[in-house]
Amino acid sequence: MRRFLSAALLAAGFAGPAAADIDAALDRHILPRIDALAGSTAALAAADCDPEQLRPAFADAAEAWAGVAHLTLGPAEAEGRARAILFWPDDRDATGRGLRLLAEQGPAAWTPEAVARASVAARGLGALERLIWEDGAEPCALTLALADDLAATAGAIRDEWRGGFADLMRDPGGPGNTRFLAPDEVNRALFTALLAGLERIADQDLGRPLGTFERPRPRQASLYRSEMSLPMIRTALASLRELAATLAEAPRTEAALDRALDAADALDDPALAGVTDPMGRFRVEALQSTVRDARAVAAEEIGAALDVGTGFNSADGD
Amino acid sequence: MLSRRHFLAAAAATTIPAPSWAEAGAPAFLAAAKRPDGTYALCGLTGDGAIAFRVPLQERGHAAAAHPARPVAVAFARRPGRFGLVLDCLTGAVTHRLEPPADRHFYGHGAYLDDGRILVTTENAFETGAGRLGLWDAAQGYRRIGDMPSGGIGPHEVIRLPGTETLAVANGGIRTHPDSDREKLNLDTMRPNLSYVRDGAVVESVELPPDLRPASIRHIAARGDGLLAMALQWEGDPARIVPLLATHRRGAAPRTHAADDAAQAVLQGYAGSIAISGDGTEIAVTGPRGGVAHVYPADGTGPPRIVHRPDICGAAPAGGGLAFTDGLGGVLHPGGATRHDVAWDNHLVAIGSA
Repeated sequence: MRRFLSAALLAAGFAGPAAADIDAALDRHILPRIDALAGSTAALAAADCDPEQLRPAFADAAEAWAGVAHLTLGPAEAEGRARAILFWPDDRDATGRGLRLLAEQGPAAWTPEAVARASVAARGLGALERLIWEDGAEPCALTLALADDLAATAGAIRDEWRGGFADLMRDPGGPGNTRFLAPDEVNRALFTALLAGLERIADQDLGRPLGTFERPRPRQASLYRSEMSLPMIRTALASLRELAATLAEAPRTEAALDRALDAADALDDPALAGVTDPMGRFRVEALQSTVRDARAVAAEEIGAALDVGTGFNSADGD
Repeated sequence: MLSRRHFLAAAAATTIPAPSWAEAGAPAFLAAAKRPDGTYALCGLTGDGAIAFRVPLQERGHAAAAHPARPVAVAFARRPGRFGLVLDCLTGAVTHRLEPPADRHFYGHGAYLDDGRILVTTENAFETGAGRLGLWDAAQGYRRIGDMPSGGIGPHEVIRLPGTETLAVANGGIRTHPDSDREKLNLDTMRPNLSYVRDGAVVESVELPPDLRPASIRHIAARGDGLLAMALQWEGDPARIVPLLATHRRGAAPRTHAADDAAQAVLQGYAGSIAISGDGTEIAVTGPRGGVAHVYPADGTGPPRIVHRPDICGAAPAGGGLAFTDGLGGVLHPGGATRHDVAWDNHLVAIGSA
């Protein structure tokens, strides 16, 4: 009877909630990009202490991070690793203060082991960017220690994804798997990552430098010294488009993300410095609104396809 | 000479054994739920997460109070609640309907005192804003027998300290009025506190440090030795990352506990429930907005371990450990996890824990 009913419903054009293709999400999106992060940070760690060599390697690592920053579930979230890779936003210049402290501590503090124990603000891409772009990568021992530490963090994320966390996602409800008790929980986790990623681009990556009309804040742009702010946003959008496509048949979401990517391509303002003049600001705001549109479309279209709503308790507690 | 009523009661007590929780399927917990068809229920859950019984509710429930011995639960409406239902968990029947006086509403929590003879409810005397504790005689048909001060504004959860007749009350500090639903009327001046009430009098009240005044003290849990843990809900600047767990011992200053900023930020300023593990070694606060529970060593020695479940909110002691429920129907317990086709509501209440 039930079988008959679902066949009848399908014939009438009412498809039930589609299961996301978790293997596709893992094998075509998450794991390759996690590998790329580990690989590009290892390449940065292997570069000579020469700004000319370090800059392109740094740019690759920053873009690789932008491609996985939405994957806060699991290994990147554990032990504060995401913050150790990119400490941002940083309203109080904790990165500057932490780096000065490390510099004052002298060579004993310039080893990967010592750096791993330092303030999280003094580690990762933000600290490396300052040394490479502002200090000619000096002191070299500190630059290389920070690069080694970054590669170790990225390597730990990859090892945990490949060494167990991906399997938890592939086997919801499996023995001992209390993280994902049923397939819809994996769908929900990825759907949440997609929406939160888009929200972060609009509100943080673009919203922070935009500030207000009276008070734009270009120095709040992420990694503006290396002019990676916009390239990272572009990569993040492309990565989220890739994720959306694995979650559901989502033509409207993909089209909306294409419009956001077009707006990013048209911007030609890598550090988002243009937020201070009316014309440049207008274009950054236009990009922001395309990202918000894409989020709204994804929430509606993919949310309906996967049949995931907002949480009962998170939306309405007491 | 015995009155007829007393005689009958005495006769009943000697000849017919009163039913116990064992006859209701030996549940370890109570939890309110929303069912897939949109209706609500109060469920009993066994220690391994199976549903022992299910009693329909007409409206969404908030928390429940479990009678310490008999299979009776009081289910409270969400605030500003105008009713509490005394449920016979064997038959599902509503045996009594509690209605607060006209100038009061319930906040959604209650506790039993005196081996289950007295029920205490948190209430808002909304014209004055005073927090009150309503008293009901469970032995006489839940007749209202009086009330007493809660020690602050907006009393939310009330618990009995294990092994004592002292109550602890989380006075959330937020003034509301039913004419404006759940709108918060005093966020600029709120001063939540934790109060201890004994024999009708407030015997101690403590506040958090002044910079944490916008942190509403909402839910509490206690250990047998008097350690009290509070879960907080932040009403201040959303950009600030603040502790959402505080602990207290009578006569001492409260202490706050937080994870590192990155982990703490995940909670989004909101802790939904709190529980102390059965063996007393861990304190859990749940963060439904972040989909995590932070489980701290109770001796305050280190960072929390993090339990991940989407929409996790209910927490209770379970055996020596802890159990959690979530909006996807999941029940995590020390022996594993199960999932039911319901959305578990805010709280998981242990039966007979104190």
